[in-house]
Amino acid sequence: MIKLGTVFWLVLVSLTGFAMFAVKYGVQSLEDELNHTKKATIAEEHAIRADEAEWAYLTRPETLDEMNRRHLSLGPIATKQLRVTLNDIPLRVAAPVMVDAPTLVEPPAEGAVPTTPVSAISLESSEKPPEVALLVKPAPAKTTAKPIFSRRPRSLDELITQISAGR
Amino acid sequence: MIAGQRLDDNPCRPRHFKPPPCSAIVPDGPAQQTLETCRARLLVTSALFALAFTVVALRIVEIVIVGGGTAESQIGRFRIVTPPVPSHADIVDRSGNVLAATLDSPSLYANPKQIVDATEATRKLLRVFPDLRAPEVYAKLTSGKSFVWIRRHLTPLEQYDVNQLGVPGLEFEHEERRVYPDGSLTSHVVGYAGIDNAGFAGVERALNEELRERREPLQLSLDLRLQYVLREELQHVIDDFTAKGGAGLIMDVNTGEILAMASLPDFDPNRPVAVDPEHPKTLLADRMFNRITLGDYELGSIFKIFTVAMALEAGTSTISSTYDASHPIRIGRFTISDYHGKHRVLNVPEILMYSSNIGAARMALAAGAQRQREFLDRLGLLRKPKIEVFEVATPHYPPKWREVNVMTIAFGHGISVPPLNFATAAAALVNGGILRQATLVKLPAGHVPQGQQVISTKTSEQMRKLMRLVVEHGTGTMAAAPGYVVGGKTGTADKVSGRHYAERKLLSSFVGVFPINDPKYLVLTMIDEPHPNKQSHGYATAGWTVAPATSHIIQRVAPLLGVQPVDENSPEVQRALMVESLQGKRIETY
Repeated sequence: MIKLGTVFWLVLVSLTGFAMFAVKYGVQSLEDELNHTKKATIAEEHAIRADEAEWAYLTRPETLDEMNRRHLSLGPIATKQLRVTLNDIPLRVAAPVMVDAPTLVEPPAEGAVPTTPVSAISLESSEKPPEVALLVKPAPAKTTAKPIFSRRPRSLDELITQISAGR
Repeated sequence: MIAGQRLDDNPCRPRHFKPPPCSAIVPDGPAQQTLETCRARLLVTSALFALAFTVVALRIVEIVIVGGGTAESQIGRFRIVTPPVPSHADIVDRSGNVLAATLDSPSLYANPKQIVDATEATRKLLRVFPDLRAPEVYAKLTSGKSFVWIRRHLTPLEQYDVNQLGVPGLEFEHEERRVYPDGSLTSHVVGYAGIDNAGFAGVERALNEELRERREPLQLSLDLRLQYVLREELQHVIDDFTAKGGAGLIMDVNTGEILAMASLPDFDPNRPVAVDPEHPKTLLADRMFNRITLGDYELGSIFKIFTVAMALEAGTSTISSTYDASHPIRIGRFTISDYHGKHRVLNVPEILMYSSNIGAARMALAAGAQRQREFLDRLGLLRKPKIEVFEVATPHYPPKWREVNVMTIAFGHGISVPPLNFATAAAALVNGGILRQATLVKLPAGHVPQGQQVISTKTSEQMRKLMRLVVEHGTGTMAAAPGYVVGGKTGTADKVSGRHYAERKLLSSFVGVFPINDPKYLVLTMIDEPHPNKQSHGYATAGWTVAPATSHIIQRVAPLLGVQPVDENSPEVQRALMVESLQGKRIETY
């Protein structure tokens, strides 16, 4: 009886000891991991702060102005461009007058465009068609240029490919 | 017991004989007691051990199964790393663009006691920092101290290079540094901080404590885009008219928020004392000087709006009152005359439109010194401005308000105020008569601070109409920005030099408000000592210098502010700005 008791206690003690050390090492490794993560977080935070400052530096109005001058040549919005409000722009014409026919000529395709806000506002819509016509006229290879231009771009990427193909 | 005795007694007992087992010997007396005590002690001890192990076991069960509770915080094998909070919060503009940030920047120091070969170390250091001076570095490395700074605030690349040197005894100290990505664009507002990040000027200085305590970025009312436009246009005017300097601000007239504030020449807060490569001769003090808050100017004719408002508010004039401006006024040694006199009787709108000094002086005289002083005081023009920078000037005005002072103050001479005070008061004139303190800190969206009603809404409405006339037909026609219904007032003041007014030194300024039929924003521009050029036909007055600049600023800024352009000739606008007393009269152009 006594022996059974001793064995019980021995087992309990060794189990306890084992459990204790297991927990201790578990905690230590977790703590190491925690510290590591925290240090990494701090490093990341510093990097983010530096990146934010860098971004602020790179997007200074001065830089943007300079880059605009070099690449885009956009000017301040003129009053006449703002005369038309969104409410004044008619909704898109319901009938799909567009562009399915592959034999379509360019000016009508452009003519369909003014239903979109941008060209309705800008005064350049009257100037655009001749440009397009010029672009397309000297291209006798109808097979390449025409199908691309006869379709309205669905995405920005498509628009860009169209423009580069046009060039 | 008897048998035992018998066996022992028998000398001839066989040697192999083993006595039979007997019952346990139970000692009596003291031995018995000792044994009992021992057993009791053993029992107690083992009970205690058992208890202790039970406690440990239970605790383990708790930690492993229940979840441990506070175990993590009690185990202190490692120092738990907490992220270091930057010593100063960032400063951002109203849309979140960073204006000032605190970045990590290691500083290099040396422990000369650990330096083995000072000559070699000096040579290596000079390879990374060619601008250091060898004798100085060598002296530092052989000083025998245990700490000397070599270079503070290194770039990451420099840090890498120093590490590559592999010189023992060189260490890095973690330090922070204030960085201003926008450079001189917001220099006077944001200010700058010293090497230990304590603010030395601007918001950095005035709100140093708050920046230290905050964790979130401090959002200013400035709009970086507007600031850029304002500064660029001012720089154009300064260059065009070879002026000494200029200043300007854009303010929300209904809240008092300052959306842009620029003063030129300015400085780069990243290198405040460095010489400006474009203007190497400009003094540092000049560049640090914020003309809007710290400047104290006799602003000249733009002050006439206060004279007119005062007279209308006090009832000493009505909009159709007339004053004789046909002859200059002589008082004492002064002669008050008009710059471009009409030499006839003028009514109130004409006095403002043609900027008649004589008319304004007569108007102020009719109201009297007491009223004038009280009115200017009520508009806060005689007090130091309150704003989130410490660089503010106290207005100067005559201690005794004599008749001559009344007349000169009527057209903005003999009283000098910081332009900020002027803008705050002018905003109150047009916004319905409510004076609100100017602020550089962004207000919560939709929040309109409590103001003080300083003039009636009726007077305010009249002032709007009159200021519109100045731009429509008066001295400020070049400030018109089609579609944005600008109203304003020009001012060209002679600068004081010594005890006299300098002849050819002007301070031209323009205050513009748009859209004047429903005032939203105020633009104040001023330029110091402009010189006439060919395009301005020999003029350097406000109408030719800052008025066109204001027009450009408004045309560029209004779309950014979401101000919808209107047809200025539409009946609604015309009706809103109609001046009854001028109806049907022919208005002479300026």
